[in-house]
Amino acid sequence: MQEARVIYNVDKHAVPFPEGSNELYIQALPGKPAFDFAEYHPEEAERTGSSEYSYWRSVWRNFVKKKSAVAMLVIFSLLFLFTFIAPIISKYDVHNLRIVDDLMFTRPNSTFWFGTDNLGRDYWSQVWYATRTSIILAVSVSAGQIIMGVLIGLVWGYVRSLDRFFTELYNFINNIPTIIYMTLIALMIGKSTLVMGLSMILFGWLGTARNIRNLVFMYRDREYNLASRCLGTSTWRILTRNIVPYLVSVIVLRLALAIPGTIAYETTLTYLGLMDISTPSLGILLRNARSFFLDYPYLLVFPAAIVSTITITFYLAGNAFSDACDPRNHL
Amino acid sequence: MIDTKQPILCAQDIEVQFTLRGQKLTAIRGCSLDLYDGETLAIVGESGSGKSVFTKLFVGMLDKNGEITRGSIEYQGMDLAKIRSEKQWVNIRGGKIAMVTQDPMTSLNPLKKIGLQIQEAIELHRGLRGSAAKEKTIQMLEMVGIPEPERRYHQYPHEFSGGMRQRVVIAIAVACKPQILICDEPTTALDVTIQAQIIELIRKLQKEENMTIIYITHDLGVVANVADRVAVMYAGQIVEVGTANEIFYDSWHPYTWALLSAMPQLGVKGESLPAIDGTPPNLYNHIQGSAFAPRDKQALNVDFLQDPPIFKLSDSHFSKTWMLDARAPKIKQPDAIQRLSSAKYGQTVANLEHPHEDPNRETLIEARNLKVTFGTGRKRFLAVNNVNFSIYKGETFALVGESGSGKTTIGRALLRINPVSSGEVLYKGHRISGKISKELDLEVIRGCQMIFQDPMASLNERAKVDYIVSEGIINHRLYIDEADRQRKVQEVLGEVGLLPEFASRFPHEFSGGQRQRIGIARALIMRPEFIVADEPISALDVSIRAQVLNLLNELKVKYGLTYMFIAHDLSVVRFISNRIAVIHQGNIVELAEAEELFAHPMHPYTRSLLSAVPMPDPIHEKKKKLLVYNPDCHDYSIDKPNWVEARPGHFVYANQRELEEYQNEYGA
Repeated sequence: MQEARVIYNVDKHAVPFPEGSNELYIQALPGKPAFDFAEYHPEEAERTGSSEYSYWRSVWRNFVKKKSAVAMLVIFSLLFLFTFIAPIISKYDVHNLRIVDDLMFTRPNSTFWFGTDNLGRDYWSQVWYATRTSIILAVSVSAGQIIMGVLIGLVWGYVRSLDRFFTELYNFINNIPTIIYMTLIALMIGKSTLVMGLSMILFGWLGTARNIRNLVFMYRDREYNLASRCLGTSTWRILTRNIVPYLVSVIVLRLALAIPGTIAYETTLTYLGLMDISTPSLGILLRNARSFFLDYPYLLVFPAAIVSTITITFYLAGNAFSDACDPRNHL
Repeated sequence: MIDTKQPILCAQDIEVQFTLRGQKLTAIRGCSLDLYDGETLAIVGESGSGKSVFTKLFVGMLDKNGEITRGSIEYQGMDLAKIRSEKQWVNIRGGKIAMVTQDPMTSLNPLKKIGLQIQEAIELHRGLRGSAAKEKTIQMLEMVGIPEPERRYHQYPHEFSGGMRQRVVIAIAVACKPQILICDEPTTALDVTIQAQIIELIRKLQKEENMTIIYITHDLGVVANVADRVAVMYAGQIVEVGTANEIFYDSWHPYTWALLSAMPQLGVKGESLPAIDGTPPNLYNHIQGSAFAPRDKQALNVDFLQDPPIFKLSDSHFSKTWMLDARAPKIKQPDAIQRLSSAKYGQTVANLEHPHEDPNRETLIEARNLKVTFGTGRKRFLAVNNVNFSIYKGETFALVGESGSGKTTIGRALLRINPVSSGEVLYKGHRISGKISKELDLEVIRGCQMIFQDPMASLNERAKVDYIVSEGIINHRLYIDEADRQRKVQEVLGEVGLLPEFASRFPHEFSGGQRQRIGIARALIMRPEFIVADEPISALDVSIRAQVLNLLNELKVKYGLTYMFIAHDLSVVRFISNRIAVIHQGNIVELAEAEELFAHPMHPYTRSLLSAVPMPDPIHEKKKKLLVYNPDCHDYSIDKPNWVEARPGHFVYANQRELEEYQNEYGA
């Protein structure tokens, strides 16, 4: 070995090493002189920082970090919960509202908390009942659209031989405005909430499916999927275990956007008279308020405020949740 | 020679910290470095060692969340570590210190003509205008070795190959007439033959333009070729610095030793490589003592307590290890260093086998007139053209070629991931290409498995290791009950050297080498006979490669596995394989036993590949001559080429005249 000498010690913060004595280090390592070989533990070199990673726990932790989003979720939940409480505390049963001529257009007061409508019926009970109908309709229709869109998108993207078929189907449906289909269905089959809800699903999967298909294209030929194919994994299993988990955040985002979208769409359909008006929904109330709102603005303000609240809270909370679902944001 | 020169750039005790999601990461932990005029300084290190971050400081391109927390960088009377305004940087960047980055695909503007991109730099830094600038641009194109520069001037980046693009990037950097040129892994994304050409170009330009070069790389072979001086980085510190000869032939830091010993080029075939266990430390944590100590088999107790001081070995050679302290036990340099300094590597071959002499060998996989095409109609592309070979039981058959040569396609065609256009694949004598029965399908799935190149892409990030490893046996219910499945997973994890508790974790918690071993476990649990290993080590860090190579060799002996080893690097292949096939543009041009191929390369393409492979030996590298393969050198107009056996067990694609030439040269 060559002669060596210390020229400078970069680690200025360390304790200076006393020349010729090992005592300091014998204290730190009892029974182990500083310049003896240390024991070698190969598994120590292998060990990584242990962690208890769980996907959904990280999602939740990330979501909770965003206070505004949590607030939005709370507001929405309270609103939905209130639609069940409101009829209980209300003085009038929504199913037994009487038409009273001299109570027409009563402004909000202590008897009629939201006033009365053009036929003299209590507006409070109508508004909350309509909110509940709208939310339930929106959630089920959106969920239907997303499930259908994801399933079709997966097959469309993964199975090469079906790409052409689905592309043409997509083009065929997409090139005609949905409103025309809806009008035809409403006129030919009926306007019941069930029929219209199902038709909204039937024509609402397109965007999601296309989005999912493009993403599946990205993941389809990644090496981990080739590895699964080498192991003889079935296509269904590859789709559910290898690809869908990567799409969770996109699916959540689409769902969060679909719910306000469906409420808006339902309002449009009602406005055009394509919905059954026997069960009050927010769309029906808005359509009704349209004719009178210049003179009686409260008729528009209450349902509009609720629609806006649902849309905004859901959009913001959904966005945050979708971000939280993206594992790139997990630590 | 060096101590008479004044340093032109002088970094003192630099510390750099990054803030990532509220956590502090110390990427550079006190680095000091002098740069002398006219030299080529190579900085070697694994990914995450901080080599790129360190040099980015010299051009002020530190990422926004990073900060120099200590130290100074003196350059021309300025302290580069103190510069905050972008305006000041513009004066230095390009004109004084220029940078060539790794990826030639992304460093050019795809919407702008090549000529204009160079001309822009010339106009800005050399003050030329109009036709004078254009003339200079064409000169530059010619200087970096681009043929027909006038025509090329008007082309767009997509019309250039990867190597050509990197030449353009270099031209842009050199056009600014920089004093210092920083090359950050400029050839990592390129093929070996192209890499050798680019390195030659950089060396030529350095002489002509009188530049000082900092060359960052992880490849010790490249370092041996380019460097006058070498700095070895580990975990944000320079652990050893010296002239190329000092580092390669007389290094003293355990990390440098470990790096050199782990190189397959310096290993002894048939023996395991001295691998470095584990992975580099997590820089989020506080590092007590020497960062390398936990992976060092000869660490001292003091290594775990205090950061070693820097010891001076000669005027140019410094090493940061307690090993050099007077009180430390005296140890010898490892075998690989001794083999290297006495130039005795690559010849020591333990028990050489000659599989072609064994009459009882059993064919496991056979490819007959294999053809694979992609696309349809006019866009049809022939990826594999009429390939024939047999792989015998128990051997490692290597397929070597450059990117786009069709080597991966062949591997995937054997495993039926890519469909075969014509010809057939036989497994134990049964045809397995095209439509086959269900029983045979299952047998092939169990018998033939694959290991993939990129450990980052080849594991499902959203599944636990437990599921990833047992995926194969779940698919075919190859276990009795849940307890049996778990037992099998644990067993196979143990075999690839992973801890049992890893089963319940997700892949993102593991390093590249560990992930690659998970990939091997996934294939191994099927108890296959044949494994296609598609560049299993090329995406890994140098220190990790040996682990994986050793593991593959151990498993081969233990289970009598047969490998097809796909690679682009002939030197690695020589270490691991029994027979080597060289493939060029979909054709196998030469096939021979590994040592035979190295001793008697015949096809000019094989020779050019061999000449381009960088060896970690500065003396060898500095006198080697690069051969460039030109497909036009064959005259096949009258005399048609054939697949012929030129020497026993040595096949080459040649015509009669070439065959005679080869046989005259080496004797039949």
